[in-house]
Amino acid sequence: MGMTITQKQNSEAANAAVENLNERFSDSGVSSEVVAHSAGKKQEFVRITCSPDQWRAVAKHLKHELGVNHCAMVTGTHYPSGNDERGWEVAYHMHRWPIHNVEAHTMTVYTGEKLKGDDIPMEFEIFIPLPAGDSPSVPSIQDIWEGADWNEKETWDLVGIDFEGHVNMHRVLNPHDSPTGFHPLQRQHKIRYHDFNEMYDDPQGFGRKPVDEGRIK
Amino acid sequence: MAEMWITMGPQHPMTHGLWTLRVKVDGETVTDTEAELGYIHRGVEKICEARDFTQITPYCDRLCYVSAMTWAHSYIMAAEDLLEAEVPERAEYIRLMAAEVQRLASHLMWLGAFGPDIGNLTLMTWCLRDREMFLDLLQELGGSRMHYNYPRVGGVKRDIPIGWANRLKAKVKLFENRIKEYEMLLDESTIWLVRLQGVGYATAEDQIDAGVTGPNIRAAGVNTDARWTNPYSVYDQVDWEPAVEKPTSVKGADCYDRYRVRMEEMRQSCRMLLDAIEKIPGGANTHYQPGDEMLITKAPTRAPEGATGFSTYECTRGVSNFYIQGGGDGRGKNPYRVSIRSPMFITIPYVAKTMIGYKVADIPAIMGSFDPCIGETDR
Repeated sequence: MGMTITQKQNSEAANAAVENLNERFSDSGVSSEVVAHSAGKKQEFVRITCSPDQWRAVAKHLKHELGVNHCAMVTGTHYPSGNDERGWEVAYHMHRWPIHNVEAHTMTVYTGEKLKGDDIPMEFEIFIPLPAGDSPSVPSIQDIWEGADWNEKETWDLVGIDFEGHVNMHRVLNPHDSPTGFHPLQRQHKIRYHDFNEMYDDPQGFGRKPVDEGRIK
Repeated sequence: MAEMWITMGPQHPMTHGLWTLRVKVDGETVTDTEAELGYIHRGVEKICEARDFTQITPYCDRLCYVSAMTWAHSYIMAAEDLLEAEVPERAEYIRLMAAEVQRLASHLMWLGAFGPDIGNLTLMTWCLRDREMFLDLLQELGGSRMHYNYPRVGGVKRDIPIGWANRLKAKVKLFENRIKEYEMLLDESTIWLVRLQGVGYATAEDQIDAGVTGPNIRAAGVNTDARWTNPYSVYDQVDWEPAVEKPTSVKGADCYDRYRVRMEEMRQSCRMLLDAIEKIPGGANTHYQPGDEMLITKAPTRAPEGATGFSTYECTRGVSNFYIQGGGDGRGKNPYRVSIRSPMFITIPYVAKTMIGYKVADIPAIMGSFDPCIGETDR
């Protein structure tokens, strides 16, 4: 039989992490809660909402006190109709996994059901809402997790979120000579989408006009 | 001697796709590297914002052209989390088998491509021969040879055909013997050992800090695998254990360990498949019509604003994540934002840095042992 993490372990670890976070950040406007996935095994995870000023303190706490060792992904989102509370949002997803170095010629075989404390795998979701405006910016955590480096590069490249303190920021997916300020996942860039009539009436596309003609490009 | 920059790629046999590795060399020794990606960036995340939840699946198939099934499942799990869909147990078993057959096919493609890197051309023909068996099985499920568009929100497109279980069993049992043949070919080959052993060391903690996951980290001596750490599907009901390898040095796993762990992982996939086909609810030789409640449940097609879905999935090359926000165009018919975490996008820059200090001739071995795939890297 394959092993697994039981619901009890999962729930206890999530609650312990939230308790720990609330104790440390009780009066600084960082909110954390236990949330459950709505599909699959309904696993619970920790969702944290914090301001950009608090972010590096929270990140260091996650890494050094709660053993979060994997920065999985960074997602930037643009809300063009947003306000001063949320015009942009950066979501970090992190994992805690039982991974420790081993001696040569040995291996560590964990049994899911027997894991305890900080070795229990856990998912962390961190939302950082940013005010609307032309220059969204959050502090970089490149020096805390090496894995955040290219994730942040990608988020800047595609969404245009600025990561303060990020060393060696450059385009990764877009061409290196893309115009300054061009970040395709911002919402003013509409996706061109030819409809079927256009395909049948004008199969070679001579008369086709971009749907975002006249808008900012 | 003066140092100089050499550009390997975008057209280079080592790259396994379109990307560039810039290498700074001092004589034969690599002193610095830089990875350049983005040659086949297609903007999948942007395209997804103008598609509904079912239309996105084929785009996710094409994220990695040798591992379509796992990527489609990774996406569909996040969509199910967003839309709050339940999956029938029979569908979960079918998904598990589809993903594991795909894992075999993908690892065979990796091994086949890795052989010529090292100088073993026989391996390519052997692996492609065996991979074809598994592609045939997947073709019976999805209808096409490489991009299947098979999973649906809440289940699967159609049931396994009559006789599929028997063909699967025969092929898997044959393949278990073929793995032994591969090992006889490779583990006894001096060239194979000399080129792989003692190069490309990487420890477990270094790798996880840099975001490297999957078989690469299991080669370094820990059995962390998203199939049990973040349990999904029915992996807790079938017989398997995570493949794990003892690293040969305090410096961590070398290229040979990473080759060994993938061979072991193929064995575990075989074991899982043989067990799952016995345990599948409803019987392996029953065929339910598409849309039957054994295969798919009704799921909402629209997601409200503010709803989010997230999945952690063990793809063939590491852990892939999807993060989806609901409430896009068409009153929530489209997602507002789809974000994709590709394991290789993070791994390639890390591997580029691990090459520093080795010889230029070791670069193909080190790069190939991490199993790069550029389709998912550039998205």
